[in-house]
Amino acid sequence: MMNRPAGGQALTGARGWAKYRVGDFSLDVEWEAEAGEVLTLFGPSGAGKTTILRAIAGLVRPQEGRVEIGGRTVFDSKTGLWEPPHKRRIGLLTQNYHLFPNLSVAENIAYGLSGLDSTSRRERVTELVESFQLAGLEERRPHEISGGQQQRAALARALAPGPSLMLLDEPFNSLDVELRRALRSELRASIISAGIPAIMVTHDIEEAISMGDSVQVINDGRVEAAGRPLEILGQPGQGRVARLIGVENLLDLAVASLHPQDGTMVCSAGEAGLRLEVPLSDVRRDEEVTVGIRASDIILAHTEPVGSSARNRIAGVVSGVQLRPPGYEVTLQCPGVQLKCHITGTSLNEMGVKQGDELWAVFKASSCFLVRDQG
Amino acid sequence: MRTFVANLGPWNPVGSAATAIYCLFICLPVAALLFKAVQQGNLLESALSETALLALRLSLVTSAISMVLVILVGTPFARLLARNRSLPMRIIDQLVELPIILPPVVAGVAMLLAFGRQGVLGPFLSALGISLPFTAGAVVFAQVFVAAPFYIRSAKLGFMAVPKEYEDISQILGVSPLRTFFRLVVPLAAPSLLTGIALAWARALSEFGATIMFAGNLTGKTQTMPLAIMSAMESSLDTAVALSVMLLIGALAILTALTILTRNNWRPAP
Repeated sequence: MMNRPAGGQALTGARGWAKYRVGDFSLDVEWEAEAGEVLTLFGPSGAGKTTILRAIAGLVRPQEGRVEIGGRTVFDSKTGLWEPPHKRRIGLLTQNYHLFPNLSVAENIAYGLSGLDSTSRRERVTELVESFQLAGLEERRPHEISGGQQQRAALARALAPGPSLMLLDEPFNSLDVELRRALRSELRASIISAGIPAIMVTHDIEEAISMGDSVQVINDGRVEAAGRPLEILGQPGQGRVARLIGVENLLDLAVASLHPQDGTMVCSAGEAGLRLEVPLSDVRRDEEVTVGIRASDIILAHTEPVGSSARNRIAGVVSGVQLRPPGYEVTLQCPGVQLKCHITGTSLNEMGVKQGDELWAVFKASSCFLVRDQG
Repeated sequence: MRTFVANLGPWNPVGSAATAIYCLFICLPVAALLFKAVQQGNLLESALSETALLALRLSLVTSAISMVLVILVGTPFARLLARNRSLPMRIIDQLVELPIILPPVVAGVAMLLAFGRQGVLGPFLSALGISLPFTAGAVVFAQVFVAAPFYIRSAKLGFMAVPKEYEDISQILGVSPLRTFFRLVVPLAAPSLLTGIALAWARALSEFGATIMFAGNLTGKTQTMPLAIMSAMESSLDTAVALSVMLLIGALAILTALTILTRNNWRPAP
């Protein structure tokens, strides 16, 4: 493999834990990333995600903790072991790439190769230039190439010395949406082919799901949830995770009746309130639950749809229409609750949705999920 | 409205007039000096007089030594000032500018009181067999005292403009902090460092007040170019003009070198 460090030793994952306090901020986390896999740290800004990367890289020193990279311990607060960043064999890709502006693309890639003699260095640079499709741009300065090319050059520079761990700090932030999607799989493929573990920080749920083999939800310096991306972010089990990733509808309801034969149960918002069919869960009658529904899972209709398999059909009055790129968010006032629904601009125009209209919200029972508030 | 905006365009009358007046104010004396030099005819002869050559050599040697000292001490100091913004360092940062504001004559008196035979360090220096005042060493001291702040200030701003992330990435790429400084930080801050060197060197070459107080005006020993010009004015205007033209050419050379060297061929990071 082109990106494996010389010597061909077996590569292992990266793991560790850290407790770090500075001012009002405190961090208490642990992490584990397997070789050839991407761990995404997902959470809002200020949650401490970047600080975790900085602790792993040795740019901050946690009061307590242990950092293991490729089977090598580089920090252990118990023994006082501390390796400085330049000895940790890490690759870092930041959101602005930080290509050195005074050096050419080739010089940037060669920057971390000072240990090699000039012939091998030139060969290594040529090899990376080829595999990252930068041929012809070697002599350009960073500001003379496109954003996507800058990302590839920065990645080539980071992988050049053969790091044992790759850290990615919001690597798509400075790119436009279309380029992000295109480069995501490219970046993931490069990291996997390097055969090293990678830890990526993001606040974009789509990125967390498409890039990560596993995900940790970080909030307020703590790990809120950890596991496979779709399990954690697709069906958010925990209330705070649901809030963090922006499930638009979180309804506080009470369990009205259980229907084990259908695998469903009915939840209601009070006597006169709406009734929802949701997947059966391990709850008792009259128990209070929070039900989450994605705004994009709700279909709007002018009349009550007949002959539909969707179990939930709820009438409501449009109380607001807001632009929410790429479409619109329609707020529907239903008995006892508000529902937010996402529709496209075309649908909005064809239906002529405006404030005060009476509409039907339609969604499957399986689009509803129970949110458990923990802590 | 439109005309009002147009009046403030690139050739607005107030700006143009101010520019013309200022340029005349600077150019007229310079032109007068050059005109006199051409008119007197024996420019080369005066410039090659023994006094002139001794002063030139002393100025070049002392200012070169001063610049080496300023760079050796000023660079790590400026670097710390740029990175450490704690209260004590910010106070020190303010004190760095003191020699710029202080009249050089006062600096000369202060240095005599510190390093002179009767000064604070006088007994200590005497015990070591060192006598500073009225030596070439004193000339260097005076130059460093007044010139160093120009370099330190410029270098500090240059270092502050290098984003910390570049250094982080360099270290993560396996380059030690010290080598990162020479391989990355110095090249990135080079325009500011060179500006600082040029400004400090120009200031050292033109040093007069502190030198005459602390080092005196001894031909061939402590008489630098500015002091030689002052002395020459008393006997021969021709020599004074010749020396002045030499300094003027030196200043223009520094200014040109500065413009060429600080031309950025890369765009700073966003």
